[in-house]
Amino acid sequence: MKFIHFADAHLDSPFRGLSFLPSKAFNQIYQAADQSLTKIVDLALKENVDLVLIAGDTFDSNHPSPRSQLFFAKEIKRLTDAQIQVVMIFGNHDHMKMTDLLVAPSPYFKLLGNNEEVESAHFTSKNGFNYQVNGFSYLNNHITEDKMSEFPQNGEDYTFGIMHAQEKTTTASQNVYAPFSVSEIKALNYDYFALGHIHLRQTLSEKPWIVYPGNIQGRHINEMGAKGCYLGEINEQTKQTELTFYSTSPIIWQEVSVTLDQKLSKNDLQDKIVKNLDNIKQSTYFSLRVIGAQYLTEEEMDLVQDTDFWRSISMQLAFDSQLVDVRLESNNQLRLNDSDQEAFERAENEIFTLDELKKISKDWANKSQLTESLVQNPDFLAEVKELAKVKMASKLKGISDETETN
Amino acid sequence: MRLKQIKIINFGQLSNLTFDLPSEKLNLFFGENEAGKSTTVAFIKQVMFGFYLRSSSSPFFEDYKPLAHVSPMGGSLFFEDENGSTFELERLWAKGDKTRRGILTVKKDGQIIPENLFFDQIQNIDGNFYADSFIFNQDMLGQVASLSQADLLERIYYLGAADSSKLLQMRDDFEKDAGRLFKKTGKKPEVNQLLKQIDDQSEQLADSEKQFQDYEEIEHDFNEKNQELVQEQQALQKLQEKAQELSNMQKQLENYKQLQDLRTQVKDVEFNSTNYQKAQNLIAQGKNLQENITNLKTQLEQISDNQNFDYDQARKLVQKRSELLQWQSEYQSCMQKAQQFEIEKQELINLNPDLENCLDLSETEFKQMKNDYNNLPKDDSTVISDENNSATNIWLIVGAVLTIIGIIWMISSLVEGLIGLILGIGLSAYGIMQKKKISQEQKKKQHVQQKISEQYRNFEQKYKFDPRDLDLKNLASQLSRYKLQESSEKANTEQMANLNSKVVQLATLIKNALKKPISANFDEMLNAIDDLDDQIDQVRHSNDKKAGLENNLTTQEQKLKELNLQLKAIFAHDHVEKIDQYDKRYQESLAQTQLRTKIETLENSLKDQLPRLEKVATNQENFVQEQNELANTISQENAKINSLQSEVAQLQVKMNNLADSTVVFEAKQNLANTETQFENASKEYLASLLAGKWISRALDIASNERFPKMLASAREYFELLTGGRYIDLQLDKKITVVRADGKKREVKYLSRGTAEQLYFALKLAFAEQIKDKINLPILIDDSFVNFDDHRIGYIEKLLNKISEHNQVLIFTAQKNLVEKMKIEPLTFEKGSN
Repeated sequence: MKFIHFADAHLDSPFRGLSFLPSKAFNQIYQAADQSLTKIVDLALKENVDLVLIAGDTFDSNHPSPRSQLFFAKEIKRLTDAQIQVVMIFGNHDHMKMTDLLVAPSPYFKLLGNNEEVESAHFTSKNGFNYQVNGFSYLNNHITEDKMSEFPQNGEDYTFGIMHAQEKTTTASQNVYAPFSVSEIKALNYDYFALGHIHLRQTLSEKPWIVYPGNIQGRHINEMGAKGCYLGEINEQTKQTELTFYSTSPIIWQEVSVTLDQKLSKNDLQDKIVKNLDNIKQSTYFSLRVIGAQYLTEEEMDLVQDTDFWRSISMQLAFDSQLVDVRLESNNQLRLNDSDQEAFERAENEIFTLDELKKISKDWANKSQLTESLVQNPDFLAEVKELAKVKMASKLKGISDETETN
Repeated sequence: MRLKQIKIINFGQLSNLTFDLPSEKLNLFFGENEAGKSTTVAFIKQVMFGFYLRSSSSPFFEDYKPLAHVSPMGGSLFFEDENGSTFELERLWAKGDKTRRGILTVKKDGQIIPENLFFDQIQNIDGNFYADSFIFNQDMLGQVASLSQADLLERIYYLGAADSSKLLQMRDDFEKDAGRLFKKTGKKPEVNQLLKQIDDQSEQLADSEKQFQDYEEIEHDFNEKNQELVQEQQALQKLQEKAQELSNMQKQLENYKQLQDLRTQVKDVEFNSTNYQKAQNLIAQGKNLQENITNLKTQLEQISDNQNFDYDQARKLVQKRSELLQWQSEYQSCMQKAQQFEIEKQELINLNPDLENCLDLSETEFKQMKNDYNNLPKDDSTVISDENNSATNIWLIVGAVLTIIGIIWMISSLVEGLIGLILGIGLSAYGIMQKKKISQEQKKKQHVQQKISEQYRNFEQKYKFDPRDLDLKNLASQLSRYKLQESSEKANTEQMANLNSKVVQLATLIKNALKKPISANFDEMLNAIDDLDDQIDQVRHSNDKKAGLENNLTTQEQKLKELNLQLKAIFAHDHVEKIDQYDKRYQESLAQTQLRTKIETLENSLKDQLPRLEKVATNQENFVQEQNELANTISQENAKINSLQSEVAQLQVKMNNLADSTVVFEAKQNLANTETQFENASKEYLASLLAGKWISRALDIASNERFPKMLASAREYFELLTGGRYIDLQLDKKITVVRADGKKREVKYLSRGTAEQLYFALKLAFAEQIKDKINLPILIDDSFVNFDDHRIGYIEKLLNKISEHNQVLIFTAQKNLVEKMKIEPLTFEKGSN
């Protein structure tokens, strides 16, 4: 028996971290997740799988656009027409009523665990191999209660679990997505536990299988690399399962670093960047990290942060790839006279603490919900700190540097 | 680090000038205004930290005088460190050099070393730091004077940090940047604007997310309308079925009318089909008989044509066949004999060919020839020899040779030659005479010979053979044999002619009997007799046939008569005169049968509707009205359906539009983009804010570290600078000053002048404070201090105090200061030092 496991399609979800929308890229972006889903369905048909597991967050919101709903319904129909069993759950993003789903009713389509209750469904593969799937759907955007205890123990048949959830953490405020621990899942002794929610592909356990397939299309520089689905093949005698990952996302995100070790001209800078973005095999969205940014002049610093400059770089890339983000990093300690160096280091230690940062950014942080959440985001704060260092390093270069450039 | 020598090659208005500094403490430079004091200060700073050759003005004293670009520019400074080592810093700039900072060469005790070995000893400070902390002159005074009171206080406060003025400027820049990006209550700054934009776009997104609700509503409408449409379509179908029924009825009405019409045409016809069949047969048989009779008659006519054949004559001629065969045999034997005679005659002629020439001669003519032959002379013909003729020729030749020899000989010996010549001529003359004599004898002999030959020739001409080889006796005997043969041959020829005449007679008879020409030749006549024999057989045969035919003909004619009688009986029975009439009646009966079939078919097809049709046919107006009303209803129903369909289509379009709509995605993507822009702008804002705070905090830390240590010397400097008006400085959380009268003042309440003096005091204290790490000469210009007479003591004390920890270079134009300091001054005249 063969099955496919994917999750977090987030149809209709925008790409984040783009400060501008390259017009050419609009269609590319809005169809990217769709194309990835179509490829997954193509794969299911080609491999003639018995089962497709969809582990939540198929849509980006509980009010999905008709376009994405109809598209999804069309793709599901391709599967059910081929008599491929589809088992789907809703996640924290698409917590919606089953009646709002436009998928045409079919004996081959099963929305599992409506009303946030764990449900078991029993099926038989084309070869007469019996299996069951246990899982539940979201009806609200958060589930804090313990769902693991609701799952039945594994039965005689090959048993799948399916769940949109996040592992328990020590921070209580984060345990809002049906928190679980790996040992709890292992205790169920299922053959395969299909998870969704975490966008990074990862295997929490191999015996038994507990798997996050990741999302099907990276949408942010934090969601780098190939995205797609898992194809599982079950040996019906031994019930052993082998997993193969298939990359289906039309666009991948990649972070590339350029390290500067001396000053260079605008043209050389551009060449150096293009050369570093050259080695690609498919449409790629780049975040560029310029290390050694202190070697940039102020004009160059403005230039590399200018979206027009990114566009001109993107023109030279294959596969309609785009440079969408540039981050500057200073790889040098502040060059102060030694007598002040210590004072600056002490000041840095004092100022760059979370409390101090929050105090400093208070006016800004109180301004909106977004700013409040950003100030809680360690990545964001780290970038602020780094930028402050780059700015400082750049200003402290002093008059002497300026006079060098004729 | 003590400065020992200043060596200027070219710098500003100075060139080729060297100062040896005598003291490690106080050194005095004396010169009028414009003598080069400020230029020397700039030289010291710039040799250490780089020339300043920019065209734009410098923030600090370097623009005092535009530096002439005399090449090479620069010179050297010689320092001595605590260990007694000498460092030479030589900085030169020549036209064409890339860097405008000049090229620095550092030597330690005459050896070139990396420049950082020197700068490490002064903690790698830069030129600004040096200018800020070690140079006290008019420019610095000007800068301080231009500060606001608050800035001045801040500078005082942050004096504990090196480079504080520059760092403060940086901090201000960062704060300005931050303020430009975000204000707590503003609307214009970028971050504020983006926040507003995010709110707007979030609303737009929420609006666009209603799309799904819209879609569901439209779909609901769509389904309802579709259902309605189906119902209306069903109603229409029923109406159309009814209309079809009526239209069928109309068609059937035509058929019904036809039926009625056909029914009127039905009538009875008298027709006996059995008798009609019999009559037809009889007529057919009669026709056959008539044909047979005609045929028999034709055959009979053909046979009577052979009538004029003479049967008996033919039989007689046939009996002549054996006689004709007898004649044929006789004739052939005669033919053989004739051939035999001819062969024998030919053999005789072949034996003696001359015989042929005699055949035509008569007996008398033959005797005459005998006589002619016996009269012929003997033949004695001779041949004349020409022997003599050749002998005479020799004579002629010898004579000619001698004559020629004689002539040749005459050339050598005239006498002998002449004899030869005469002998030659004589011999030739004898030869010629001999020749003539022989020729005459020959001519006589030839004449006799000719006469004999002529007689022979005449005989040959007359009898056609040569008399010289003729055997006359033999010839005569053979001629008589030949003549005998000729007479036998003649008798044979007569017998053959007799046979021929008999044959010709018989041929004429046969020709007449056969009525065709034949030749009198045996084979052809025998064939003709065979033909005659055949004809006799044929005639006999045809006579037999004729008799048979005539018999047959009589029988057939009898039969025909009987048939006609039967036919007449039938016609009489059915009251018919001719068969045509009978045919017509038959056709009529057929037409009636067809008519009845048609009526039956129509009746069958109309079967159920007949009663209804009868009614409709009686009241057609009602029927038409019914039809019109129905058509009207149908067209109304159609209109309704069209309108419903268009409504459904419109809803479908709306649904399709929503299905294809990227509005939600666009709204999301726009919002995401704006959020990214906002994040980036916020990062800029927060980073600037952070950098500003960072600098402030670093200044705080540096100042707090150093202030207490600086305080003791600062107090002393302040007292000296204020001429004793202030006696103390105290540092708690803020700086307070204590007047001579014991009153305390917070710095912010100090007069401007006093505040400046406090600032300079702190700066001097700072230089002292960092002397262990950075010990460089302090450069003081006299414009910096107030030299009124009652303060000069304070100044002297101040300068001595400073020079305790740093080497001090004083640049002054004041003679009284020079006197008071009791130091030999350095001047700017060349060669003076």
